[in-house]
Amino acid sequence: MAAEICLMAAFDGGRSDFGAGEESRSLDGFLRGVERRALRMAELATQSRDEALDLVQDAMFGFVRHYGGHDGAEWPPLFWRVLDSRLNDWHRRQKVRGRWSFRPDDKDTDEDPIALAPDVREPGPLARMADGEASVALDAALRGLPLRQRQAFLLRIWEGLDVAATAVAMRCSEGSVKTHLSRALANLRRALEAHR
Amino acid sequence: MNQPNDDWLERAKALLDDSADNLDAATLSRLNRARQAALATRRKGPSRWAWSAALAGAAAAVFALAIGLHQRGVAPPGAPVSSLEAADIDVLTSDDDADLAENLDFYAWLEKQPAGGPRG
Repeated sequence: MAAEICLMAAFDGGRSDFGAGEESRSLDGFLRGVERRALRMAELATQSRDEALDLVQDAMFGFVRHYGGHDGAEWPPLFWRVLDSRLNDWHRRQKVRGRWSFRPDDKDTDEDPIALAPDVREPGPLARMADGEASVALDAALRGLPLRQRQAFLLRIWEGLDVAATAVAMRCSEGSVKTHLSRALANLRRALEAHR
Repeated sequence: MNQPNDDWLERAKALLDDSADNLDAATLSRLNRARQAALATRRKGPSRWAWSAALAGAAAAVFALAIGLHQRGVAPPGAPVSSLEAADIDVLTSDDDADLAENLDFYAWLEKQPAGGPRG
């Protein structure tokens, strides 16, 4: 029976050839569509393109291995979930090595939501900057965010996932996603205003 | 409709899109290789590691079976192999019985049903 279990485990990852080519093409298209944004996301977290490439490659392997057989509609939150997990692991390793002192405290602070509420008449912190300057300022502001806040911002605002899908990707509750995002927006606004 | 406060978010998205669209050729090439390598693991099916694990498992099972048979060999020489042992060996060595082994519960239930089929 042990042999049988081993053989079943060995073949578990392999699917029948039926539709395998089509599936590969779909997976290829999906990964092709997200890889650049994934790289930028990882780069903002690691501040290193090489490390970001390694993490994205690792995430692609993990995603294909574990979720490649899932329905295509489920892929986006699952891919970002794998990448988010890799980023968290990387972040933990850096913490252990004590090499992340350049980052602000990752703990979310309790801030007065009324004080953080933006002025609706204000055109926004990026409005008066030229593209090049705005891009540099935005990168710096994003790098300055705690990991969870940055991920909530990038997944919700940039990637366009809804709250539920972001919660799946970040392995947290929908309430946590809203909290992280709200704080991310407030902190980004503050950092960009200061940059102006 | 965009509220005034959404404008800077739209700008932020556009800036991030630009940064992703304007990656250099070397980075795009590495991304492409990473994607192809990941997809290759799916296309080629069970990995060499999986085959090795399967063979090692099969070898371990055969070894365990041989030990078991050897230990039962203390019975008088020439004594007939019990029906249970014979069934075990059959299940382990015959491909045809794999389905039976996996669905023993179902076949046991089926055997208990009256000849005319389940009452309903």
